[in-house]
Amino acid sequence: MVDTGGTGRGVGNNGGAAGSNRPVWLQQYDLIGKIGEGTYGLVFLARTKSQPNRGKCIAIKKFKQSKDGDGVSPTAIREIMLLREINHENVVKLVNVHINPADMSLYLAFDYAEHDLYEIIRHHREKVNHSINPYTVKSLLWQLLNGLNYLHSNWIIHRDLKPSNILVMGEGEEQGVVKIADFGLARIYQAPLKPLSDNGVVVTIWYRAPELLLGAKHYTSAVDMWAVGCIFAELLTLKPLFQGVEVKAPANPFQLDQLDKIFKVLGHPTPEKWPTLVNLPHWQSDQQHIQGHKYESPGLHNVVHLPPKQPAYDLLSKMLEYDPKKRLTAAQALDHEYFRNDPLPGHNALVPCQLGEKVVNYPARPVDTTTDFEGTTSVQTQSIKLFHCARFCVIVGEHSEPFKSLLINASQVNFGLPLLRRISSVSIDSSFLVGAFVSRLAGIQTTATVTPVAFLHFFHSA
Amino acid sequence: MADFETSTHRAKWIFAPNDLMEKFRAANQRAVKTLDQYGTTRMEVNVDGSLTYLEHPSKENAGKHSSPKPLNIEEEQYMRVFYEQKIQEVCGAFGFPHKIQATAIIYFKRFYLQWSVMEHHPKNIMLTCVYASCKVEENHVSAEELGKGIQQDHQVILNNEMIVFQSIGFDLIVYAPYRSVQGFVDDMEDFMQVRNGQLQMLKDLQETAKSEVDKVMLTDAPLLFPPGQLALAALRRSNEAHQGLDFERYLNSIFSRQQTAHSISELIQSLNAIDNLVSKLKIPTAKDMRHIDRKLKSCLDPSSQDDSKKREKKSKHKSKSSEHHGIPS
Repeated sequence: MVDTGGTGRGVGNNGGAAGSNRPVWLQQYDLIGKIGEGTYGLVFLARTKSQPNRGKCIAIKKFKQSKDGDGVSPTAIREIMLLREINHENVVKLVNVHINPADMSLYLAFDYAEHDLYEIIRHHREKVNHSINPYTVKSLLWQLLNGLNYLHSNWIIHRDLKPSNILVMGEGEEQGVVKIADFGLARIYQAPLKPLSDNGVVVTIWYRAPELLLGAKHYTSAVDMWAVGCIFAELLTLKPLFQGVEVKAPANPFQLDQLDKIFKVLGHPTPEKWPTLVNLPHWQSDQQHIQGHKYESPGLHNVVHLPPKQPAYDLLSKMLEYDPKKRLTAAQALDHEYFRNDPLPGHNALVPCQLGEKVVNYPARPVDTTTDFEGTTSVQTQSIKLFHCARFCVIVGEHSEPFKSLLINASQVNFGLPLLRRISSVSIDSSFLVGAFVSRLAGIQTTATVTPVAFLHFFHSA
Repeated sequence: MADFETSTHRAKWIFAPNDLMEKFRAANQRAVKTLDQYGTTRMEVNVDGSLTYLEHPSKENAGKHSSPKPLNIEEEQYMRVFYEQKIQEVCGAFGFPHKIQATAIIYFKRFYLQWSVMEHHPKNIMLTCVYASCKVEENHVSAEELGKGIQQDHQVILNNEMIVFQSIGFDLIVYAPYRSVQGFVDDMEDFMQVRNGQLQMLKDLQETAKSEVDKVMLTDAPLLFPPGQLALAALRRSNEAHQGLDFERYLNSIFSRQQTAHSISELIQSLNAIDNLVSKLKIPTAKDMRHIDRKLKSCLDPSSQDDSKKREKKSKHKSKSSEHHGIPS
């Protein structure tokens, strides 16, 4: 899992890197090129050279060293620590962590996904000129909710869901499977959070929940569900639902335009329908601005072109519920009638099961083949500019690292904690135990300071 | 927090007693062999991640200089306990939340399953573990601040950070027993259907249990048992002092409320084993440490061996100045 190449303990001088400047760990990959760039660093596409996964495409995320004197990037650490603990079909898989001892930078290797919702939506809007077929929309949404439900049951809030962070696998065994990615901002509920405004980076505000825009200090999993609602609408109409103009200023400025865009579609929230609204900082301090325009009739169904009686509309409106306490949870959403009606959601979201449906061929991710792993332009002359990785992928079985199963040991009896049942909103696997994990405190200490958060484009260039 | 049942903590970091002993033995043996071969256990990490041992020049004219004596397994253990306790002290001095020190100690323990203290000086690793724990638990402190607070060079922390993360396999989420204690106490409240007077008793019970957990954390128990059992063992010890509740009845009630393949006698056996480890725990003082530390120093830097002997004679009365907060330098 973790690897620095040549840590042959007890070995004297290194022999491995002789004749090459590339660290040993790097030599197990064929670098294809750069596929993304962001505030955290760079993303590369590479292929595994050795068995058992020869030819398999891997996305390698290189983290820049954090600020001077800060050591290993805390964003990288957060992403690694969460991804090491989770394992789900609809969550991106971290296959390896590499360290480059020369500059102590971290490289995270992920299973490569050819598509993401940002590119899929864009392709339909700009190239295909027709909407995404209902089967694909429903399957993508279902898998997204399925992954999110898993995260929320594990007390993880993603906090930065947006189309570019929702990946979709290209050709191969897992074709059309959704993978939630980019956990650099994800948090465990119970961890006390520090303001992220220090990062100095800005996240897109289009998917931000109204309670956050109004200055809520408490983060709940409902913020992710709001984002899913926005993404659902965008899948239907190919346009971002609430395209507010962002106020760019340090320290979490009040985003009036974004709220205004929401109110225009959903009407004003009222304390009758959302009792805790009156406690939100901006609702009180900026009341005049907020109430400046009057928007009475909710026009959501007109915007998304759905008859109000359709299950799809019902589901969408429940995800875009103002009161986070009343907003649908991921588990409830999965249970919605919409998913029980034809067409039923499927495993391969990109290829409908019924014959006769047209299959859209989404373009492969553009790859900049002129860079090396440092991100600097290399002198190698590689003629291919656009590399369609999926065509060459040799998909091989799982290669999760074997670990000793020590679980049957009698010394490890675990204990259930009945208290957990009190925290009703999050589904909990009844088999789990150990008071360590949560007491009733977990339900209360979900506090987090909410500030503008980092915009981390994961798999394609900003 | 991800689920303990599916955690890396449970899957990879809870061992059978024999496996644990084997790991300690293997790490010690490797260092002994290195010392024998190179005359020192000090090494440098190369650019490509491989290691180079710094062969001690005086090895050539052996005979004159005897090779430094390695630490035995007991001495290594002693040293670890000393620095684990230092982690508690340092975190206490900084006023960090309890889980910071618990996480740091668990990192420290896991690190020394891979390495001998002769290979990486525990003082450096201790500081790095505290720093890493702060980073993971979102209680960020800069290395500089941390170093300053305990008058140590913060560069040491940064230099060791990656090897610590790497040695613990980047398994960063750990489950400490403090939270379990809280959970069980809350549960006891229901179980006893407490009246006003008993509420104070439960509070006292919890406070004592917390300091019992502090002791448990210094033993091998966190590498042998899941946090729920460590918490119950601490609560049972605490209850012996307070006599607040019928503990066996409480254990029975836990079992009656859940389905498990395990029997209550298995649980009690575990609790007894944890108890036993706590009773055997000896916390070395700085004075106890001096001898072992001197041995360690000569393993890491044999040339210091002769010099230090001379120096010691010269400045016996001045030597205190090199010890900050009782940490042998």
